[in-house]
Amino acid sequence: MTTGMSTGAKPSTAIAGGGPSPAVAGADDVAPEDVASLQKITSVYVYEAPVRLWHWINALAIVVLAVTGYFIGSPPPAAAPGNTFDTFWFGYIRYAHFAAGYVLAVGFLGRIYWAIVGNHHARQLFYVALWSKKWWKEVLFELRWYFFLEKRPKKYVGHNPLAQFAMFFLFTLGVTFQIVTGFALYGEGLGEGSWADTLFGWVIPLFGGSMDVHTWHHLGMWWIMMFILTHVYVAIREDIMSRQSIVSTMISGTRTFKDDLPD
Amino acid sequence: MVATPNGFNLDTSGRRVVVDPVTRIEGHMRCEVNVDENNIIRNAVSTGTMWRGLEVILKGRDPRDAWAFTERICGVCTGTHALTSVRAVEDALGITIPDNANSIRNMMQLNLQIHDHIVHFYHLHALDWVNPVNALKADPKATSELQQAVSPSHPLSSPGYFRDVQNRVKRFVESGQLGLFKNGYWDNPAYLLPPEADLMAVTHYLEALDLQKEVVKVHTIFGGKNPHPNWLVGGVPCAINVHDTGAVGAINMERLNLVSSIIDLCKTFVKNVYIPDIIAIGGFYKSWLYGGGLSGKSVLAYGDIPENPSNFDPAQLHLPRGAIINGDLSKVHEVDVRDPEQIQEFVPHSWYKYADENKGLHPWDGVTEPNFALGPNTVGTKTNIKELDEAAKYSWIKAPRWRGHAMEVGPLARYVVGYASGHEVITDQIKGLLSTMNLPVGALFSTLGRTAARALEADYCADLQRHFFDKLIANIKNGDSSTANVEKWDPSKWPKEAKGVGMTEAPRGALGHWVQVKDGRIDNYQCVVPTTWNGSPRDNEGNIGAFEASLMDTYMERPDEPVEILRTLHSFDPCLACSTHVMSPEGEELTTVKVR
Amino acid sequence: MSQSIETFYEVMRRQGITRRSFLKFCSLTAAALGLGPAFAPKIANAMETKPRTPVIWVHGLECTCCSESFIRSAHPLVKDVVLSMISLDYDDTLMASAGHQAEAALQETIEKYKGNYILAVEGNPPLNEDGMYCIIGGKPFVEQLRHAAKDAKAIISWGACASYGCVQAAKPNPTRATPVHKVITDKPIIKVPGCPPIAEVMTGVITYMLTFDRMPELDRQGRPKMFYGQRIHDKCYRRPHFDAGQFVENWDDDAARRGECLYKMGCKGPTTYNACSTVRWNEGVSFPIQSGHGCIGCSEDGFWDNGPFYDRLAQVKQFGVEENADTLGRAAAAGVGGAIAVHAAVSALKRAQHKNEIKKGSSMSQGEE
Repeated sequence: MTTGMSTGAKPSTAIAGGGPSPAVAGADDVAPEDVASLQKITSVYVYEAPVRLWHWINALAIVVLAVTGYFIGSPPPAAAPGNTFDTFWFGYIRYAHFAAGYVLAVGFLGRIYWAIVGNHHARQLFYVALWSKKWWKEVLFELRWYFFLEKRPKKYVGHNPLAQFAMFFLFTLGVTFQIVTGFALYGEGLGEGSWADTLFGWVIPLFGGSMDVHTWHHLGMWWIMMFILTHVYVAIREDIMSRQSIVSTMISGTRTFKDDLPD
Repeated sequence: MVATPNGFNLDTSGRRVVVDPVTRIEGHMRCEVNVDENNIIRNAVSTGTMWRGLEVILKGRDPRDAWAFTERICGVCTGTHALTSVRAVEDALGITIPDNANSIRNMMQLNLQIHDHIVHFYHLHALDWVNPVNALKADPKATSELQQAVSPSHPLSSPGYFRDVQNRVKRFVESGQLGLFKNGYWDNPAYLLPPEADLMAVTHYLEALDLQKEVVKVHTIFGGKNPHPNWLVGGVPCAINVHDTGAVGAINMERLNLVSSIIDLCKTFVKNVYIPDIIAIGGFYKSWLYGGGLSGKSVLAYGDIPENPSNFDPAQLHLPRGAIINGDLSKVHEVDVRDPEQIQEFVPHSWYKYADENKGLHPWDGVTEPNFALGPNTVGTKTNIKELDEAAKYSWIKAPRWRGHAMEVGPLARYVVGYASGHEVITDQIKGLLSTMNLPVGALFSTLGRTAARALEADYCADLQRHFFDKLIANIKNGDSSTANVEKWDPSKWPKEAKGVGMTEAPRGALGHWVQVKDGRIDNYQCVVPTTWNGSPRDNEGNIGAFEASLMDTYMERPDEPVEILRTLHSFDPCLACSTHVMSPEGEELTTVKVR
Repeated sequence: MSQSIETFYEVMRRQGITRRSFLKFCSLTAAALGLGPAFAPKIANAMETKPRTPVIWVHGLECTCCSESFIRSAHPLVKDVVLSMISLDYDDTLMASAGHQAEAALQETIEKYKGNYILAVEGNPPLNEDGMYCIIGGKPFVEQLRHAAKDAKAIISWGACASYGCVQAAKPNPTRATPVHKVITDKPIIKVPGCPPIAEVMTGVITYMLTFDRMPELDRQGRPKMFYGQRIHDKCYRRPHFDAGQFVENWDDDAARRGECLYKMGCKGPTTYNACSTVRWNEGVSFPIQSGHGCIGCSEDGFWDNGPFYDRLAQVKQFGVEENADTLGRAAAAGVGGAIAVHAAVSALKRAQHKNEIKKGSSMSQGEE
């Protein structure tokens, strides 16, 4: 059940009466309506349409980038000899890589835009509340949950703090690093004075040289691979074991909770 | 007065003369001598003054890359270290290269010999004998006659040609900006050439400068560039394709024609200019027979230019192998670079540390821990050395010895070994030159002998270059265009541990690389290079090295102007970057200096 | 105009530049400098009478390949450069004098042409052991370098050694060989990297400075844009094979004989800024790729530590391991994958246990459907 409002969600049921205020997850990512929503079997609109759309386009772009990027580093067996005009497959691999790179970068910019204008969940990707004691406590709790030291997970509307931590460091920083190094390398081909060279050309000497940037960009791909592995696994696991929906949320946008216990 | 075991009397009582930097060499070198009241050199101290530590840098790297690192030991004898390196790695891994690769490698190595000898003589050595300022006094017509007399077939010999060159030199000198010729010793009586010979030689200085850039194109064709062409473990990187599509990307007929034309060019220049110049200039310096040093006593050559691929049996090497000791030309000793008893390096007078400095170490067991320490009688400070103390450590060069003997290496050493072992071409060349110049065999053991041997060798190498070109063509004609053996390219096919040695005759003499490979990486790498032999400091027994020996008993016209010292040192074509690059395989932290 | 000194003007004339274009050049220069047309004759006069620019060429830790390359220059011929364009007042590889006289030549030039000479540096200074890994005149080379740099108009860093450190600075850099710009920080420095640089690039940089009387335009890394503005790959004649995916897979295979792309053999052309594929080597005869061997990237900073030369992927050197990015990445991904598998197994187990507990009649509803 959705409200369809971009400002977040209204709980379909309200809290009846006092009781201790529940421990609220993600200190900085909480609104009164979220608190309310935690208390009952309910569903709440979390991921707005642009976020969802971005997520899947982004996922596709990353798959294309990773596969083509891998082949750019380690080309498969050579093409048969012949006319170099009508045989262009390595060119196509690189083309696909660059095109997907643009999609990723533009999508990422759009996502940043949405972090500003969208609901507060849309901002979670771009910060971690390292300054918040409460946040660290939550992280600790999540770690204990993942190490099987807690029997019952907490409820979260958005990302849990550990997920947010992983999202920020593995994904957000990873993708930013890939975009910056990627376009720095792309700028080498576009040439001096091109937009990519002007914006990102400084990256090349920063790392030493072009080869160094290539190496780091390649390592960045593996960094994101590790994120994807973890992300997919945890999403499925949490879908099964946590107290809220995960996978379907990124399709429908709504988070449904499996119980109405507080916290 | 101290008598060295190898037969020299050192007397340090006279005036100390210091030459630093020694110029017109590769790298950095210092020389100190003591001259007596008659201006005769009675003690000589030669010091390598640079050190780069390449061997520790090589540790842990891919042995297939080692050639590129070692090639950068020296950009003058460019390529010869690379060739030695690929030979060492191939020896360790048991790789036999294709016949074509052998021919191409030989052509490149021979090409280097020719190039290096020409550049050395004209651009690094000639100014020790030739006075460009004096050339201004020459009569171009008389110069033309001299040119036609010494080399009738050299086309550039008209009076107008020499006048043009003279005018150019004149304009240059009168500009007051003498550039490279500034502060030369142009009024020193050690210069003996008449103005016409000076003008002829200066002209050839410029001709050789133009020519040398053509000579190296053989490297460019097969190796892609010069200096520092590319090499390959298992063969050569350039593929041959003379018949089919795509030939423009490989060695094709046009490339081969270019190689062939350069081989002709080399031969023509050496025959028409280089050797006649040696005879002409040498003729005026017949009385100056200093500088023999170790050449008449102990010489060493590893041999090179194998007729058959990956086969270093001395019987089929075009440049001879062998050692002669104590001046006994009747016995040419066999040289085995793998024998731990034969080649050993000592460090009691080198800025390195051994556990027991009375012992020498074979390169495969080489330990090299730097230890920059100056002796108690050093004049000056650590960073401002006025005079070195040769009783202590005084050089970045180690002291290699063959069965305990200090040896001279280089073109003269090769030619002495060739002469003593009855090498047909070499013997004929030596006899021919000596009879032309009307000199006895003993004249060979001198500064000029070294310079002359180099020219003769350039001539021989030019012929050998043609031989291997023809061999390559014949092979291609027979349908063999293979240039690389890739059976063991993949490290998974290598033994877990292996060791190998590569030898070449670099332009400056016997060069060896010793490599140990473990788990696909370099475990230890040691080079013993020609200038390590020649520039060697004293050893544990006090034997002096070839540079030092060659300076002994030389008369100096003016001790402040080191013309005679330069003359003899240059006759070795010193290469200091080569000689002083070693470092501990363990790469110990460097110790600090102690001025005691 | 002096008859004896070959001036800048004479050199230009000899290079085929007419008097008319020379004067035009002078007025353009005047305009470019923001001076009125009245200054053009003054500039012309200055150039007509200006002596050859003095060059001091010092050598640190190096292999002399830069000097060797320099003398290979075909246009201009090196003899013309040395006799007519510059005044090479100190160069310990080529100069006639030695020892004290050589040091005097250096000192005279520094004093006489204070602020007007070009300092060319081949090699680099080692800083360990108080600099005594390279000794000139009994003193550390770094002293000579600092001394000569103090009054130089500009510095040219020849080759990979002076520009970046080159082979002696490859890990672990036992002598602490240090590129020039890290020792001399208050002078304009032109880096001309390569091991060695191409001969005509070297003389091209010098003649550019003489002809236009200005520093060449430099890129971010301080290299002349005119020769180092593009990668070898960008203008490689084998580039079509790269785009087509036609690669040499093994030395001397059919693709090698057809001259196809050396990318899979580890060619560093795609990451190397240099003029090899355009100017080429030794009067345009060839360049490494044309002769069948990939580029080893010799004009790039730290190229020795970006090997192995025959692998597409460089060894990653930052994490104390010697593996390439793929090996490293695969290992890390396998690690993560393994951890996930274990975690998933434990999770399943826990879940099963938990379900059992619920079945055993726990009254607690855990929302397990």
